[in-house]
Amino acid sequence: MDWGKVKFFLGEVLRNFTRNAGMQATAIGTVAITIILLGAFLFVRATLAGLGSDILNQIEISVYFTNDATTAQEDALRSTLAHDPRVATVQFVPRKEGLAELRARTNGVIDTSLLTENPLPDKMRVRVHDPASVPNVAAKIRKMKGIGNVVYPQTVVERLLQLGGVLRRIGLVVIAVFLLVAGIIISNTIRLTVFARRREISIMQLVGATHMYIRAPFICEGLLDGLAGSLIAVAVLAGARYMLWPKLLLALPWVQLNASVVNGPVLVGQLLLVGGFIGVIASWISVGRHLRT
Amino acid sequence: MISIRSVSLIYPNGVRALDNVSLEIGKGDFVFLVGHSGTGKSSLLRLLYKETVPTSGEITVDGIRVDRLKRGRIPALRRHLGVVFQDFKLLAEKTVWENVAFAMQVTGAHSKEIMREVPRALDLVGLSHKSRMFPGELSGGEQQRTAIARALVNHPKLLLCDEPTGNLDPSNTTEIMELLLRINLKGTTVVVATHNQAVVDRMRRRVVRLEDGKIVTDEERGYYYLGLGQGQVLSG
Ligand SMILES: Nc1ncnc2c1ncn2[C@@H]1O[C@H](COP(=O)(O)OP(=O)(O)OP(=O)(O)O)[C@@H](O)[C@H]1O
Ligand SMILES: [Mg+2]
Repeated sequence: MDWGKVKFFLGEVLRNFTRNAGMQATAIGTVAITIILLGAFLFVRATLAGLGSDILNQIEISVYFTNDATTAQEDALRSTLAHDPRVATVQFVPRKEGLAELRARTNGVIDTSLLTENPLPDKMRVRVHDPASVPNVAAKIRKMKGIGNVVYPQTVVERLLQLGGVLRRIGLVVIAVFLLVAGIIISNTIRLTVFARRREISIMQLVGATHMYIRAPFICEGLLDGLAGSLIAVAVLAGARYMLWPKLLLALPWVQLNASVVNGPVLVGQLLLVGGFIGVIASWISVGRHLRT
Repeated sequence: MISIRSVSLIYPNGVRALDNVSLEIGKGDFVFLVGHSGTGKSSLLRLLYKETVPTSGEITVDGIRVDRLKRGRIPALRRHLGVVFQDFKLLAEKTVWENVAFAMQVTGAHSKEIMREVPRALDLVGLSHKSRMFPGELSGGEQQRTAIARALVNHPKLLLCDEPTGNLDPSNTTEIMELLLRINLKGTTVVVATHNQAVVDRMRRRVVRLEDGKIVTDEERGYYYLGLGQGQVLSG
């Protein structure tokens, strides 16, 4: 390790970084705001998705056999489902149990003792891993023999799935716009430092510096801008999370909010990564544009 | 070392700086480039390290076809040459020491090597005692000597000097020219563009004379003025 080289390089980066403090602060601030918005957005999206998937995960398909369904037909369905990777659990409810269940659920309002025979068919409760596959699995079951009704809360599933899709699409657009704005501002900051140092850069080139050598300090500057901005953002987000979350829970008691669906460290890592990445890309582009001419 | 064949250079503004110039300079040669101001001496030197691209013709430096050289290969070319620029091109915010070290740093030299070579180069040009000063705190001659030290520090095979004594007093001039001679004796090819008549006349080296972008004479042991010694009157 050549410490002289490292020292020289860090000196260059520091000199660039401190030369244009006002502009540097602007770039960092923009990244911070961008990342705060991005982080808040990701957090809300994850919470909503968690909410949605909580509901979705409780959805089950109720399969009613016809009254004349044979045991063989029932077994056929059971084994088909057991081999279907989308299916999580299958619970068989014989008609007798179904009656007991009905009795329990209606709290005796329906007096089942008046029935001379059990009117309920055999039933199967099917749960799937991915709520999105509910309609397909239901359709597949309908095609089997001995099947009467196949029901699931169709509109709930469809609406929630739709909502998830819309959220995801809006999210992508919003994130793209944020990143673009932050990238443009960092790139302008770097362009100013490049401009301030254009004489130095041309002299570097005349004595034989490679593009990479000239680029490195600027890339580092962009990286620092990006990381500093996203660190500030992470601090702000963490503060907001701990101050606002309890209030949110109180304000929306009927919503089963679940903060644990957001993986804190992973989110922080992602935000830092995104911040550093736009810094590097933006400075790479603006130095490259200068070197080409 | 240098081979220039039918090179013409027309700047974008239409100025024809070089007109069908051909010139061969061998390894280890010492060549003066003379001619009136604006006849294309600097332009010719700039072609050799590809700061400028010729409009037509072929340029070969140390076996490299400079006119065809890809952009990415230019740094490697420049590292093998030392250039003393007419306007010095020193970095104002770096000290003398740093300005010289800088030329080594860009080549990726190890800092141990830099610590060894920079003081040597500064010592050669007699600037060791001012190594911590900034160019703005130096006289014109001292800046010029800093530029020379920077050109020498990488031990180039080819040294291009554009008016290297323009700001030096006679004794400094003599010292620098002796330094260039010593470097030349060690095998470095040296090309000096100059207006300094005394230097050219005293050293009696090869003299290439440019006029309006054309080479008009090329003498093995020439004088600054054409036909000196045949009774021609000197002026300016
Ligand atoms: N970058 C440029 N763009 C346009 N024209 C230029 C450029 N550089 C030089 N010239 C023109 O080219 C001609 C030759 O210039 P050059 O600098 O090569 O002369 P020179 O012989 O070095 O002069 P001097 O002895 O004064 O240094 C001049 O007419 C000058 O105006
Ligand atoms: Mg010149």
